[in-house]
Amino acid sequence: MGKSAQPTLLQGTLDLLILHALQPGAMHGYAIAQTIHLLSDEVLRVEEGSLYPALYRLELDGAISAEWGLSENNRKAKYYAITKRGRKLVTEQHATWTRLSTAVQRVLAR
Amino acid sequence: MMRRLFLKLFRRRRLQQDLETELAFHRAMSGEHHNPIPLGNEAVIKEQAFDLWRFNFIENLWRDLIYGARGLRRSPGLVIGAPLSLALGIGVNAAMFSLGVEFLFSEPSVRDAASLVSIRLGGNSNSPEEAIDFLAASGLFQAVVGEDLEAFSNFNDGTETHRVFAVYTTKNYFTGLGVPMLYGRGILPTDPKEVAVLRYQFWRKYFNSDPSVIGRRINMDGRVCTIVGILREHHRTPLGFGFSPDVYMPRWLDTTNLAIYARLKPGMPLAEARAGLDTVARRLDAAKPTTYKYAQSISVSAMAGYARLSSQPETMTIGIFFAVLLAITGLVLLIACVNVASLLLARASARRGEIAIRLALGASRGRLLQQLLAESVLLALLGALFGLALSQFTATLLARIPLPLPIPIYLQITPDWRVAAYCAILTTIATLVCGLLPALQSVKESIAPNLKRESKLRLRRALVIAQIATSVIVLTTGFLFLRNLVDANSISPGFDVRHTLRADVNLPPASYTNAQRKANYVDEVLRALAIIPGMESVAAARLTPFTDNVSFGSRLTFPDNGQQTEAYFKWNAVTPAFFQAMNIPIRRGRTFSTADRGEQVVIVNRTFVQRFLGNRQPIGTALLWGGGKPPCRIVGVVEGTKTVTIGEEPQPQLYEPLEQIDNDRLRIQFVMRSAIPPALQLDTVRRTLRRIDPMAGAEVETMYSGIGLAFLPSQVGAVLLGSIGILGLLLATVGLYGVMGYSVVRRTREIGIRIAIGATRSDISRMVLLDSARLTLAGSAIGLFVALFLTKPLAMFLVPGLKPTDPLSFGAVLIIMILTGVLAAWGPVRRAMGVDPNIALRYE
Repeated sequence: MGKSAQPTLLQGTLDLLILHALQPGAMHGYAIAQTIHLLSDEVLRVEEGSLYPALYRLELDGAISAEWGLSENNRKAKYYAITKRGRKLVTEQHATWTRLSTAVQRVLAR
Repeated sequence: MMRRLFLKLFRRRRLQQDLETELAFHRAMSGEHHNPIPLGNEAVIKEQAFDLWRFNFIENLWRDLIYGARGLRRSPGLVIGAPLSLALGIGVNAAMFSLGVEFLFSEPSVRDAASLVSIRLGGNSNSPEEAIDFLAASGLFQAVVGEDLEAFSNFNDGTETHRVFAVYTTKNYFTGLGVPMLYGRGILPTDPKEVAVLRYQFWRKYFNSDPSVIGRRINMDGRVCTIVGILREHHRTPLGFGFSPDVYMPRWLDTTNLAIYARLKPGMPLAEARAGLDTVARRLDAAKPTTYKYAQSISVSAMAGYARLSSQPETMTIGIFFAVLLAITGLVLLIACVNVASLLLARASARRGEIAIRLALGASRGRLLQQLLAESVLLALLGALFGLALSQFTATLLARIPLPLPIPIYLQITPDWRVAAYCAILTTIATLVCGLLPALQSVKESIAPNLKRESKLRLRRALVIAQIATSVIVLTTGFLFLRNLVDANSISPGFDVRHTLRADVNLPPASYTNAQRKANYVDEVLRALAIIPGMESVAAARLTPFTDNVSFGSRLTFPDNGQQTEAYFKWNAVTPAFFQAMNIPIRRGRTFSTADRGEQVVIVNRTFVQRFLGNRQPIGTALLWGGGKPPCRIVGVVEGTKTVTIGEEPQPQLYEPLEQIDNDRLRIQFVMRSAIPPALQLDTVRRTLRRIDPMAGAEVETMYSGIGLAFLPSQVGAVLLGSIGILGLLLATVGLYGVMGYSVVRRTREIGIRIAIGATRSDISRMVLLDSARLTLAGSAIGLFVALFLTKPLAMFLVPGLKPTDPLSFGAVLIIMILTGVLAAWGPVRRAMGVDPNIALRYE
């Protein structure tokens, strides 16, 4: 499997978005996707196919923790919460992202 | 990491269910909210998650192992042959390793062995108790204890007196060291002097493992002692090396000097302890002056693990011996591995088609390698299991063999993590050696099908050459020790061992308080032994060669011209009949006589004369030795004897009359020369000694069995290395047979053509035999070359005159290898001669 720079960038971005969405409190996978969708003024759509692998990877990395709970309509759902390590990661990645996007902005503005 | 792996393995099903539930929930929510979020491919998500959890790797591994097991089930020859080969290799290695580890690195059975140190004051291994008390009072150490290791005691079991190995200790020995006990307790500082702690095996032998023995009274050296405790079965003494005395008692004679052990205060480094001890020893010298200075050469050395080993240079020799043994057994394992590799290689050629198809279908090379290696992992694991069991069995068996040593040495072989780790490492190496080459080869050859057979055969031939080379190395060392054994047996120890007996008597100290009593006892015994029918001559001596020895490093002064020489010689004190009883020829002068009383006389051996007397006429020469002794006159010159090992260089020797010395020792030996076979006299001698003093423990044996120790290194070497060598040879023969057989099968067509165009049977057999001879000779040449270097460190174990590069050994090995080559080629040759050109040319 060949790896290009683009998926890595997107993947990193998705991680950042997930972690950011989780900062106010724990939520299940569907809610995470919805939050990102709504916060981006319905521009970004997180597909199931990339959301869950990303969630499992973050969990393995120890950036988020998962726990089974009951959803708002009383169904069994897995709730994800950000960990200490995750908060550290989000600060770092946020800074990196800001630097990167301003840099891109500057380039495009000229 | 490992924990997570296991969790994943066991939770696999749950994780899968969780994933499904979560995805179902997600879909349900999307459905309820009428959300246009497109549904992904569920299978792909699962696959991705599984990959993330590394299930694929584990699953593949598991699948490979099952597949490997199934494949192996179809070739029972490989399943039996390969693990057996590996088991022998691994077993022999692990057995040597566990013996070596136990002998060199055993931890003493004490509390926190790492903080214990052994102390020498004034360069002496033993010091008087006042020095120990002074050290203890100095507060430098947490605890200071002492023990006298070189003690015998007479144990009377009610009917008979046995000479047993005792250790006299300071009373804080057990509490200070923290010795764990099986029953009862150790000796306490508040105990009287009449208490005893018994070794487990001693207790089992004389008290039938009866736990109620605690508190019972026993007779030791005529003193009634109370048993207070029994040591554990696998008790290891602080001295180590398997030294296992029978009885521990508080020191009760004031003259006994003790070896000193101390426990460092927590966190105190060795260097600081040494510096502190220096100061304390100086104060000790000021407070209790002796003939020597305590502070002059002090040493503090660790008592456990490698630290102990490196502080005792003499044990390094034994370490090297084990290292050489391990290297040689390692070579045997290598031979075994090569055999298995050869078998796997043959198997791989049968699977050529399968591998080619799988590669064509897109299997990655790494994946195929993993699968092929799984098979050798299985084989190696089986081999390791057998091998570990085999090693524990053989090591225990070897350790059980009673060594003909004057001190009790028993190794406690117990399952040990170090041995297990060693086995694991060996298994890993074996797996890689056996599996990697054939696996790489079969993956590679499928890519380049035209080259396949040539390179495979070349690899197998190289393997066989390596195998022959290693067996030559192993065999050469085995042969060397065999020669050594033969040579050692033919070397005369310098005295008669066939018609003589010795009795080693330990007198009970309570009733032999002065030299006169001891002298009376000796006279009485000599008279009683002399009238035993068949006894030709009897004598008493401080020492008999090989069982004990005393050397003197002393300045010799010759009063005739005042010349002084530094001399180092072996010393003994004997009664006049000693030389006659031992059949040591007197070259000049005479033996001692009663007329010598009132004059100091000595007898020396020829080496002593040659080395120290210059061109003096030896008889009548007066000399001064051992500071403070009056001058003594040489009355006789005798032939030398060996003293410690059979292989030693001739030693200068000096004998004094037994009655001339101040006999301060309780141990006395008798030597007897018998006209009838000495073994028949053993009982009579025992009975006579018991009659004269029932409380004196006596060991009576024929001289021949008494000097067994001298032959020990060659015997151990010959038996161990000889059998290892034969094992290696067998394995190599199988390998050679396999490769010759394969090469004949491969050349069936060629042989058929040769026969068809007129080659005779003898041409064909010559062709195959020559091929085998080429391999054998190449391997032997390499092996002999390496053996030249590898056997160098063995020189110190060989008798003088026998060099590690012994041409006879090397020649014998070469002949054996050529015979092996012919033998291994025999089957293939017959097969080649039976090739029918009609069938061979239609073949394939």
